[in-house]
Amino acid sequence: MSAVSGIARRAGRRLLSSLPALLGVLVLTFLLMRVLPGDPAVFFASGPNAGQAEIEAIRHQMGLDRPVPEQLVRYLGDVATGNLGRSMTTGQPVLADLRQRLPASLELTVTALVLALALALPLGIAAALRPGSAVDHAVRFLCALGVCVPTFVSGLLLIYVFYYLLGLAPDPTGRIDVFASSPPDITGFYLVDFLLVGDLEGWRTAAGQLVLPALTMALFVLAPLARITRASMLAVLGADFVRTARSLGLPRRRIVVTYALRNAILPVLTIAGIVFSTMLGANVLVEKVFSWPGVASYALDALLSSDYAPVQGFVLLMASLFVLVNLTVDVLYGLADPRISVE
Amino acid sequence: MNVLSQPLARPARPSTLRHAAFVLRHNPVTALAAAGAAGLCLVALLSPWLVPYDPVASDVSVALQAPSAAHWAGTDQLGRDVLSRIIAATRLDLAIALSAVGLSFAAGAVVGALCGYAGGRLDRVVGRVVDVLMAFPLFVLAMALVAALGNRVENIVVATAIINLPFYVRFARAEVNVRRDAGYVEAARAGGEGHVGVVLRFLLPNVLPAMAVQISLNLGWAILNAAGLSFIGLGVRPPTPEWGILVAEGARFITTGKWWLVAFPGLALMLAVLCFNLLGDGLRDILDPRMRT
Amino acid sequence: MARAPAGGRGRGPPSPSPLECDLLDLRRDHTQEGIGVTKTSIQARGLAAAALLAASLGTVGAARAQSRAETLRYVTGAAVNTLDPTMPGTTREAFAISLSTYDRLVTFGRKKLGDSFVFDLDSVRGELAERYEVSPDGLTLTFVLRPDAKFQDGTPVTAEDVKWSLDRAVSAKSLAAPQLLTGSLTSPDQFKVVDPRTFQVTLPKPDRLALPNLATVYAIIINARAAKAHATPEDPWAQGWLKDHAVGSGAYSVDVFKPGEQVVLRRSEAWTGAAPDKPAGFKRIIAQTIPDPATRANLVEKGDADIVIDLQANDAQALKERGKLKVIATPQFNALTLISFNTRLPPFDKLEVRQAVASALPYDAMFKAALFGRGKPLFGATWGEGDPKPVFPVPQPVTLDLDKARTLLAAAGLPDGFSTTFSFNLGQAATAEPMAALIRESLEKIGVKVEIQKLPDAQMSTQISEKKLPFFTEGIVAWLPSPDYFYRNFYTGNQRWNYSSVDDPVINELANKARFERDAAKYDEDARALNLRHLALMPQIPIWQPNQDAVMAPSVEGYTYQFHRQVDYRDLSRK
Repeated sequence: MSAVSGIARRAGRRLLSSLPALLGVLVLTFLLMRVLPGDPAVFFASGPNAGQAEIEAIRHQMGLDRPVPEQLVRYLGDVATGNLGRSMTTGQPVLADLRQRLPASLELTVTALVLALALALPLGIAAALRPGSAVDHAVRFLCALGVCVPTFVSGLLLIYVFYYLLGLAPDPTGRIDVFASSPPDITGFYLVDFLLVGDLEGWRTAAGQLVLPALTMALFVLAPLARITRASMLAVLGADFVRTARSLGLPRRRIVVTYALRNAILPVLTIAGIVFSTMLGANVLVEKVFSWPGVASYALDALLSSDYAPVQGFVLLMASLFVLVNLTVDVLYGLADPRISVE
Repeated sequence: MNVLSQPLARPARPSTLRHAAFVLRHNPVTALAAAGAAGLCLVALLSPWLVPYDPVASDVSVALQAPSAAHWAGTDQLGRDVLSRIIAATRLDLAIALSAVGLSFAAGAVVGALCGYAGGRLDRVVGRVVDVLMAFPLFVLAMALVAALGNRVENIVVATAIINLPFYVRFARAEVNVRRDAGYVEAARAGGEGHVGVVLRFLLPNVLPAMAVQISLNLGWAILNAAGLSFIGLGVRPPTPEWGILVAEGARFITTGKWWLVAFPGLALMLAVLCFNLLGDGLRDILDPRMRT
Repeated sequence: MARAPAGGRGRGPPSPSPLECDLLDLRRDHTQEGIGVTKTSIQARGLAAAALLAASLGTVGAARAQSRAETLRYVTGAAVNTLDPTMPGTTREAFAISLSTYDRLVTFGRKKLGDSFVFDLDSVRGELAERYEVSPDGLTLTFVLRPDAKFQDGTPVTAEDVKWSLDRAVSAKSLAAPQLLTGSLTSPDQFKVVDPRTFQVTLPKPDRLALPNLATVYAIIINARAAKAHATPEDPWAQGWLKDHAVGSGAYSVDVFKPGEQVVLRRSEAWTGAAPDKPAGFKRIIAQTIPDPATRANLVEKGDADIVIDLQANDAQALKERGKLKVIATPQFNALTLISFNTRLPPFDKLEVRQAVASALPYDAMFKAALFGRGKPLFGATWGEGDPKPVFPVPQPVTLDLDKARTLLAAAGLPDGFSTTFSFNLGQAATAEPMAALIRESLEKIGVKVEIQKLPDAQMSTQISEKKLPFFTEGIVAWLPSPDYFYRNFYTGNQRWNYSSVDDPVINELANKARFERDAAKYDEDARALNLRHLALMPQIPIWQPNQDAVMAPSVEGYTYQFHRQVDYRDLSRK
């Protein structure tokens, strides 16, 4: 009981202490966007005859006719009341856009991470069991190979081979086949929602759409995960309790899986947390290539058209997720290893 | 990827060289990577003399030709020789990567070391700034910086350096912090060495080797980052050849069947990133033998 | 969204046909049949369906195939961002949607241009109007509405709705007002309800573009009652609500609207606006945003998409060569690509400098390498008797002649050349980037050093608007491509679209005079004079009109190049 409340206190403290960083992110993004040489009002007053009057009207509507410090204060006030502004690109409130698009990004990232872990753990373990062997080198090489191709290239190549040439993959046009119906909006995660309504066929369609983009991202993050698995396993395999287990003649499989892996998983978890938050922000290009309706491609479009509000909202969202993921990892750590909570 | 495993490395030992030789012998992959990286640097240095054609000279009459004896890697949309462009790009890409990583390394080491040594208010303020940077989605930050500053080479370098910075600052800070009360530091202080001298002459030399390992890994990442920026149109200015731009342009021709436009620049880029990554891995083993046992 | 109006015009079915009904329901529920309609199940039917759907397989498969055949899947790089086309920032794709969901009073006919059909500015026919009349003095336009015209909620379209809609167009803060201004439509006082079916527009001057303006996407007729219910004191024209809700009388109603992803339209069976007594050709339209151009090419080639119009020139070229698909290439005759000089910034304020650059551009190489020859060149002409023609743009007598360029530079007092930047838009990089590289190389030969600047779209438009760019390439479009319209909008005034910032008394006077010229011969004379003046001043160089390469499945018919450079879905049907 006291352990749980300790963790809760700790989590609360961590959350509070991350608030200044979030504020910093907010202010920095705001200023960065104002430094952008593009004037969104000019860009969006794109009608064939839009003149200065229309531009001024849009500037007024976006609040750009006020001094920057006042804009900042207003913006912070808006954010505090949950209003992230309106996107000129989609014409919708940013909050609504993000809420609709975040599940798509999360679903893709989680799938990619699970896929990457499913590949990285066996590879890392195999490498750790015979350090310096051909297997070890092969694993290292394989992982390095994955991380050396830009995601937009691997994505386009996967599409070309599996969709265009072989016809194995469904058309790379978003989260679900366009002729199929999307599931009712329960969690926003298609895989979960299809299961909830018991629509297995729909589930398979959605999963099919996920395979290629998730694979593209997974390949890219294989290296750090496999590397940490290997290192962590090596350390544990050399530990006394593993030696003891060995000397007792326990089966090798049991030693590796039950004793070693369980103890080696914590550092992997930490890195997986970092990888996850990095991936969320870095899947801009994957979302673009696969027409994935996620938050990152949304932010990219907004950035190129100097549409301030969506970019600011996106960065704030990513920073908050970063804090949350770190916190989660922290809490998991605390649960798994009570020694850590004793500060 | 900017993900670091493990708390790294102890200070370099006197037997480092012998150990390095040992590791290289037993780790052919690292040896190959080192050779590859050296080769790339050589190509970069000699590129003006290696190119068979002027990399920016167009000749529309031979546009989009498949690889041949005259053009080993074919020609692009404007009839420019792809091989020459790849070779010429090597210099620019390595320069971007080296200067970006070098910049963040130098700045990170100094700032981090000062914070770790001095602690107090400076440390807290810098810590906050680093927290803010860490919480940013890095690629989007790089995009925004380049978009705001203009897509010139120096701005791409700065943007890449800034997104690498937090790591180096944290690392240097942590390592210095651990050592600031070590015996040899106390001894130096007792011997009349000023604070700056202690940091520069005694602490940094002990921290740098461990940090240096990360340089090689980050080099590969910096190249990929520049390529990504090129793909969304925020790369270096045309017609300057740069791998990312070549790949991004070539990717437009995948469906048209002009495979050489993406394949050869892509291979060059892959090779470079691969070499730097494997080399970084190997270097880590050399500097931190514990990782291998 | 509202269902199709019940029983409109006496012959439409009282409710959607049984098949359509099924499909609609399937869209919403997740029944067993719903599963059967998904595409993957058909692909995998050998595997899974045997157990699941053995008995009904045949019928479901056929239904699915039929529903696919009755659906038009259109893929595009840009997003549909609003259902109200007057909103600032509306994309072309959104214009296309609004053209189908709303009706206007009138619409353009079509004519043959080469092998393809294009809209015809000179033939304006009724859309919501059964007929219209222009008074002899050209000052009064009278429209009589179709008796059977109904909004999608089943209520009849009245002259009151028309008045409210056009009042909104000229009064609300939107992009409609500045457009309608080009047709002398500026105030609600000009719009009068004569009786429930008769509507009158009065003009201060006989403006030749008044009627065509009523056919553009901004002059939509909105269900006033439905819209007014959502108007507020701050938003009297319901602009906020109409962004997400289409309440028109058009050929299609909106089923799904996901900004930035896709829009699904469903046919209104009662609509017979275009061809007499026939609804639109497709039952369902899916307009989907696919940002990567190579993927769009893949989709249409694999038959997964039915039509795409914004492929890269090289992909369109390759698809045409492969011969499996229908490629209709129409030079965008109401648009053109320009190389512009800022005539206020030195050294481009000197005529000789502009002429020197015009003689140093590698036109042929650019046309072949950057555009893959997919367009209509506007360079290399020789003007003889009867030239220039009274249209805009006309092919220009400019060619690559480096010696002439050097002489002109020397005459300008810059024998050693100068340095400048050449800018283009990120969105046009596919053609502009190779173009820029060629220009840079060619100008280097006459001593002009060019630095290439690739700018994100918003930055480019801002810098153009602030007149900061010395030398750049951009495109212009006119929905109503008459010469005076081009010259007034793109060559006069201190505004963004006057790229070269010319302020020439001759152009100003001629363009404004031609606007109200009712004598065709005199109008042509003015247009010729304008074209001559353009060449003499050389404020910018028209280089080509890029093709709109519409690549479509061989079964798709009826494609017409439209003024808004989008597909008008109502034109299309499947063979």
